[in-house]
Order: sequence, then structure tokens, then C-alpha cells
Amino acid sequence: MARYGMALNYKNCINCRACESACKEENGVLLLPDHYRIWVGVKEAEGEYPNISIASQTYHPSQCQHCENAPCQLVCPTNATHYSPDGMVMVDPTRCILCTYCINACPYDARYVDQRTMTVDKCTFCSDTRLANGETTTACQATCPTKVRVFGDLDDPNSEISQLLAKHEYRRVKEHLGTKPKLFYIL
Amino acid sequence: MKVEISRRRFLQGSVAMSVVGGVSLSTSSMIASASAPAKKIGNDTKKVATLCEMCVNKCAAIAHVRNGVVEKLDPNPLFPKSRNMLCARGNSGIQALYDPDRLKYPLIRDGEKGSGKFKRVTWDEAYAYINEKLTKILDEEKDNRSTVAFCAGEGMAEHTFKTFFTLFGSSHFLNHASLCLATTVSGYSLTIGGYGQADLDNAKYVIMAGANRAEAIVTPDTMDFFKRTNGRGAKLVCVDPRFTNTAAKSDKWLAINVGTDLAFVLALTYVAIKEERYNKAFVENYFNGFETYKEHILSNNYTPEWAEKITGIKAKDIYEVAREFMAAAPQAVYYQGRRTTWSKNDFQLRRAMALFSALGGGVDVKGGICFGKSLPLVEHEVPAPMYAQAKPRIESKEAAVVGGSGSWVAFRNMVLEGRNPYPIRALFNYKHNPMHNMPNAKKTEEFLKKLDLVVTIDTMPSDTVMLSDVVLPECNYLERTDPVVSYGGIEPSIAQRNKVVEPMFESKPVMEIMRGLSAKISKPLFEITKKYDEDVQSAIEDDDEETVYAEFDLTKAFAHDQEELNVHAVEKYEGAAEILKEKGVFYPNMNEYFKKTGVNDYEYYPEHKRAYSVRNLKFNTPSGKIECVLDSLTKKGIDAMPVWKKEYEMAIPEGKFRFITGRHAQFTQSGTANNRLLLNLVPENYAWINKRVALKMGIQFGDKLEVSSPVGKTTIKAYPTEKIGPDTLFFVHGFGVSSSALHLAHNNGGNDAKILEDGIEPMHGSSCLHDTIVAIRKV
Repeated sequence: MARYGMALNYKNCINCRACESACKEENGVLLLPDHYRIWVGVKEAEGEYPNISIASQTYHPSQCQHCENAPCQLVCPTNATHYSPDGMVMVDPTRCILCTYCINACPYDARYVDQRTMTVDKCTFCSDTRLANGETTTACQATCPTKVRVFGDLDDPNSEISQLLAKHEYRRVKEHLGTKPKLFYIL
Repeated sequence: MKVEISRRRFLQGSVAMSVVGGVSLSTSSMIASASAPAKKIGNDTKKVATLCEMCVNKCAAIAHVRNGVVEKLDPNPLFPKSRNMLCARGNSGIQALYDPDRLKYPLIRDGEKGSGKFKRVTWDEAYAYINEKLTKILDEEKDNRSTVAFCAGEGMAEHTFKTFFTLFGSSHFLNHASLCLATTVSGYSLTIGGYGQADLDNAKYVIMAGANRAEAIVTPDTMDFFKRTNGRGAKLVCVDPRFTNTAAKSDKWLAINVGTDLAFVLALTYVAIKEERYNKAFVENYFNGFETYKEHILSNNYTPEWAEKITGIKAKDIYEVAREFMAAAPQAVYYQGRRTTWSKNDFQLRRAMALFSALGGGVDVKGGICFGKSLPLVEHEVPAPMYAQAKPRIESKEAAVVGGSGSWVAFRNMVLEGRNPYPIRALFNYKHNPMHNMPNAKKTEEFLKKLDLVVTIDTMPSDTVMLSDVVLPECNYLERTDPVVSYGGIEPSIAQRNKVVEPMFESKPVMEIMRGLSAKISKPLFEITKKYDEDVQSAIEDDDEETVYAEFDLTKAFAHDQEELNVHAVEKYEGAAEILKEKGVFYPNMNEYFKKTGVNDYEYYPEHKRAYSVRNLKFNTPSGKIECVLDSLTKKGIDAMPVWKKEYEMAIPEGKFRFITGRHAQFTQSGTANNRLLLNLVPENYAWINKRVALKMGIQFGDKLEVSSPVGKTTIKAYPTEKIGPDTLFFVHGFGVSSSALHLAHNNGGNDAKILEDGIEPMHGSSCLHDTIVAIRKV
């Protein structure tokens, strides 16, 4: 079995939001406010015109971190949130009772309530829409103009993601919480 | 009397048309991948290679279709130009296709002009109506075809519409060029022999001034470049009155006073020349008139200290940028940009930019501005008829050089001011929204109301559609095969938009619209020509009417299907037609050259096959060299060399703002204003106002502002930010639609066309978009 993760060359990100739109079209995310599986976090520039700190304005593409030790899974009373055999954190909508414990437990704010199914929804690494059809990339990765994302198998030493992580320094978000996130931001 | 048929045939020139000559093609191969009709049940899926039309870039896409419905658009990695990507707009193409507000049927106005009241008619009724109006107009105007004007937005089918214009015989074609990049293209072309392509895959030092590639995406520039910024191979200096996303990716952001870029470039040039940092061997061998230019720059004392006072950029920064640029040259580019004309000196600005780039030797070289190769298509020359009564273009004297695309603003204003030497009575409009894309919308509205007949071909009920008399619904780009196009460049290729699904409702591709319209009007219009054109009368005496009519037959250009024409256009490349249908992209040796090099990355051409240097150091200019001095322009009142003039320094009265407009990565001008997905990302536009100024004026985020100028006003919410200077106001173009038939876009945000003043620059009569002073008040 694979152990899927994602590396992000986040310095490439220009905040064009192609990823967000591709995700919505690929996964049928409703076009409503606050409905999104992925996003680009923008930190606004600091300073006073014309002395703006260039480094202060950053774009931080993000989504579910598919933690190996996921707080959302721990709190789910119905096991709707579970790990797939490939190490992805998934939600089974038929079991979700919308208690929203998971939404509160997630340190990354990666979950939202789908107003159509009235269940919790989030990034699935396109496992049902693309991976199940033999695709090897997620929609956000494939569409990206500057190729921020590299999705792949962390257990395969020859995969591009493993090679990238072997060669580059990276950081993970809120690692100190012990969540073991599988999104790697290449420095 | 012997009629000089030859004059018609040859002196008038001919129009290049891709008309097929006896190419036969099996029906099965033509419709092999054509759309299957929608099935109610079942799971019929297919993939079609097509090209995006959500902006001008034409990125290659793969459409996934299930039971006749387009479910997803994915990037097509085969196209060197778009480099395996689709941006937010590309992804939202499905929402454009299935937009419930789309134009569905031919319409004829059924109320006051501008009332937005239309009645649904059949295509034949629409053509008959146009025919009736046109024959009346041309009879009254004694066959002066130029009384009917044609305008078009950018698009792959613009060529087909333009063919109709050429055969029709009017002198007036107006397109986006004079509202867009006319000065940039000509500034670079007349100086270094072409607009070129900045090799951002290899440049080491890039100055982007005004060009905002992180937001105004251009392929392949955006994709190539931002993988290399932030200390990863390319240094970026961003010069902009706003802190844009591009500025956030830069090594140095220089906030510049609006409209003063020319002073900045002249000072960079001064440093390069004065300190002798330019590429001496290159200048000696390939510059024409360098000594004169050098003397001009030095004697005018275009020093960084001088420029600091005008531009607001510190002299020490100008020294540093000039020195660093020349140290990195020739892998250094003053990026051409391709946006609109900003101010009166725009042509000279582009000249100065091109000359500065060339001083480093970064022209026709890897990492510099490259010209690339093209893959020529087969074109069939078809003679265009000549109409003796057609009078010349009315606005040709309004600027030094008014080319084939005209000066839209000058043309409109002449008609409004009654300065037209003969009446302008009708307008054919293809995929163009002058109500929204031309400064001073009030004048455009008056202009459109003044015309006897406005025929608009479009997909959406834009503000211009609402002021039209006849509306012809074009199908969406996913519903048609368009003319195959060759894209020259460092890695040239040919690409084709293939029809993905059948047109919905009664919409049609332009080729079919032109076919139907020309069949209706060709004969009746010839009758009028016969009545007033003495040349034609004598020709009929000499030959017979049928022979003469054949020349004036408008239908001849539209007899073939686009698929057939495309096969013919690429016939010199073996197997290309089939590959284009199947894969959407073709270039010689593609099978051998195209390689996947990583999960995201592809190689299109091996390094040694890329067309970095093609000119053999002989440039496409009159002297074959880089042109410093353009003496030929002086008799038209245009300076031979870039000069800074006091009049370029625009005073901004206390409490007012200089208005600037621009783009972001989620919308394409007004064309995407009603797109559900894009509105989900960016619900409306906001006016950028300096935070400290806003605080002083009691303006908070989200407060409604009325922005007014001498020509009009618009309402928009405020976004106080330090990313803009205290005397500048910005909002992104494309919002604030008036048309109530666009349900999501209607009255959503601010409309810059309503407040922009309509001044033009002297070279091409291009509209100056950054020369408007505005006032604001909270409402």
C-alpha cells in the first residue's frame, strides 16, 4: 500500500487560485461561500508605502494535511473520519452525523460543512475523482501554472516526492502538535 | 472602355484566407471525434483536445465529456506555450459554457435603444432585417461601404470575421489594439525589429515595470518565471505604483509615480552610457545612431538624481538597477509588457525600454528578448473586390500612424463630434464590448445610439449587446472548431481548438453566421454597387454580369467547414491534421522531442533545437540594426528619440487621486464578469486606497465609495491598504456591468470605463488609461 503525501514548492505560488477552481470543478464542491477544500493563505504585506517588506507578503497554499496522527479521526464518534489503506484521512458521509467535533479538532481548519449533503467535507487527494480513474496527480497539482505541488507515495524511495524531500529542507505546519502532517513545504 | 479588372484583383491587395482547394477528406475521419449527441442514459465518456478561450493565451486543454456534458477541463501537457496548466479562468470555462444567461437565440431590438428589450427571431429573420437596413443605408450613401464599420475583440475566429469585413469593402476595422498593446508592439518593432518573446526561462535579471505577470498571466512567461524567482536563478525588479503579487515575488520593488516610467528608463540609460557599462561590442556592431542617442541622453542630463524628483524612485536605486542589469546582460531583460497604453508618452517609453535592453546585448539571444521561429500555415490568396465608392478611413489623421486596426477612441469621438467627412451609419461587432473596454462609456453609449444599425455577435448579453439592434448568438468556444493557429516562438507549435460538444440552443460558430449572412446580403448589396459603381458598370458591359459578380460574391469565403479549412492549412506537415484533431497540438518531430521529465514537467524541444537566436544579428529594421533614431517620424510630429517633457508631469490636486486600472488572475476584462466559479473566488472588485489617507477621510474596509471624474462616476467598496500610494486609486477592470441580462454581474462592483477620460497618445491614437484624476466620497 502506498502512503500518500504532498510536497509544495510554495515559493512558486502566485496566488492565482487555479488550484482552488480546479478542485471545485473536479470534486463538485458547491459554489457557495466558505465551501472549499483547498485555499491559498495570504499574509498581507507589512510596512508603509513605499517601504513595504517584500518578504512579509506570502502565499501559503494549503488543504487537509492528511495527518498520520489526525485529531479529527480521534474525536469522531462514529468513525466517519477514518484512514484509507493509502494513509489518507477520509470522511464517510453515510456515517457522518454532523457533530462537527472534527471541524473543531482540526488544527488546520481544513474541514467545512457541505450544504448539499449536510456532512463534513474536505480534501481527499482526489482519490475518488482522479486516483480511482488511474490518474497519478491531484486536480490542484495538474492545473497549477507554476507547479507548486508534487503528490506521491512517501514509501516509494524512487517517487518524485521522496526524492524531493531527500534533497531539500522542508517544514510541516504545526508539527509540534504531534499530528504528523503529510504536507511538506519545501524551503 | 476597358475595365482594369487587374486593378481590382491586384492593386487593392488580397486578403489571406485559408480557403481549401479541392481537398477531399473522408467523412469518417472528420467526424471521428466530433461530439456525440447527448444520451439520456448510459455512461458515454470521451476526451477532446481543445484550446481555452477564457483569455487571450489559448492554453491547451483536455475536455472530459460524459453523456454530452462537459464535466472537467484539464491541462493538455503537449502545448509548449501553455506548459501543462490551466488557470482559474481556464477551469471556469465550464461555467461559461453552461451560463444560464448566455445568448441563446437571434434577437432584434423591440423597444427604445438601450432599453434591453428584444424579440426572439429566427436566423433568417435576423439576416433579412440586416439586409433590409444595409441595402437602405448603402443606397442612401451611394455604395460608400466605409459608412459601415467593423469592430472585433481578440479571438481565434476574429480572422473569419475580418475576412467578411475585407470582402464587404469598408475602410473601418477597429479592434482592441488601440485599447491595448499597439504602442508596445510598435515601440519594440521599430526599435529592435520585433516585439519578441522574453526568455524568462533563462533570463538572470528582469525588470518588470507595470507588467504584472503573477496576476496578468501570460504563457509561457508566468509559468517559466516564478519557478526561478526568490533567489532561484532570476532576479526580479518590480516597478509599479502598486505592491502587486508580482512585487511580492520580486527582489526589489520600486514604487513609481504613475506615468513616469519613461523618466526611469532614461535615467537607467544615462547610467549605462555615462559609466560605459553597456555591451560595447554589441552596440558598435549592431546599433544604428548610437552616438546621436548617447549625446541626446547625456546632454539632456537624464541623471538618476533628475529622475528621482519625477519618479519618486531614489537615485541610488536607479544606479543600482542599471549597474546590476548591465552586469547580468545579455541575460537581462527590460520586460516588454503587453498591457494597455498608459499615457501620452507610451510609444517613446517602449522605445526607450527596447533600447535599454539592447544596450546590454540581450536581443536575439538566450536569456534575452528572442524572436523565435514560426511554423507557417498554408494560406490561399483570394482577391478582394474593390469598391470605387468606398471612402478612406476617417480617423487616419488623428494620430501619426493609424494602422489597419484604427484608433477606436478617435473614430468614436469624430463621429460624436460631427467631424466625420461622411456619415458613419452601421457597426458590425464581433466578440467585443466597447461599452466596457473603451474609456468614457457615456460617449460610447451615445455613439452606439447614433448609429442606424448595430449588429453584435457574442456569447453573452454584455452592455454593448444591450445597445445593439440585432444580436447574433455565437456558440461558446467549447462548441466549435476554430481556425488552426501557428504559435511562433522559442519552441514553436501549431494548435487547434476542436469542438467538444454541439452548440446549445440556436447559437452558431462565426463561420456559419458569416455563411448565412453573406448568402442573404451578397446579391442585394451587389445590386447597389452596380447602381453607383461606374467601374462595375463598365465591367459588366465588357464581360457579363455573372463574371463580375463572382468577384463581389461575399459567400465564397465561407463555403467550407472549418474542419476542412484546417486540414488544408496544415497540409505541408505530414500527419498534422490528424494529430491536431486527436491531440490539439502539433509540431515537427513532436513524437521524438516531447518528453516527460517529471511528474509535473515536460520537455518540448531539446536545448539545441530551441530558437533562441534566429536573426544572425541582422534585425528586422530598415537598417538591419537596432534603431536609436527614427528620423522618419519627425515629419509626423513624433520625436525621433525618446524625450521627457514637462507636460508629462501631471499634477494631482490636493484630496484627489490619479486613477489606475489593471488585471488580476481571476477575471479577464469584462468577458468573465458573470462567471459563477470566478465570482465564487472573487465576488466583487474593491478600490485600493492608501490606508493612512482612508483613515484621515474616515473610510473603512467595505465602505461604499463614489468615484468620480470629469466624465462620469461609479460606485465601489473601499479596500484601504499600504500597497498603494497616497495620491493613487486603483481598482481592477471588468466589474460593474450595467446589463441586467447578466444576473450575477449586474451592478456588481465598480466600472472603470465610466470614469476613465478618453485622451489618446500621438503615435497610434491609443487610449491613455492612466491619465484620469478622480475624486472620491463615501456614499
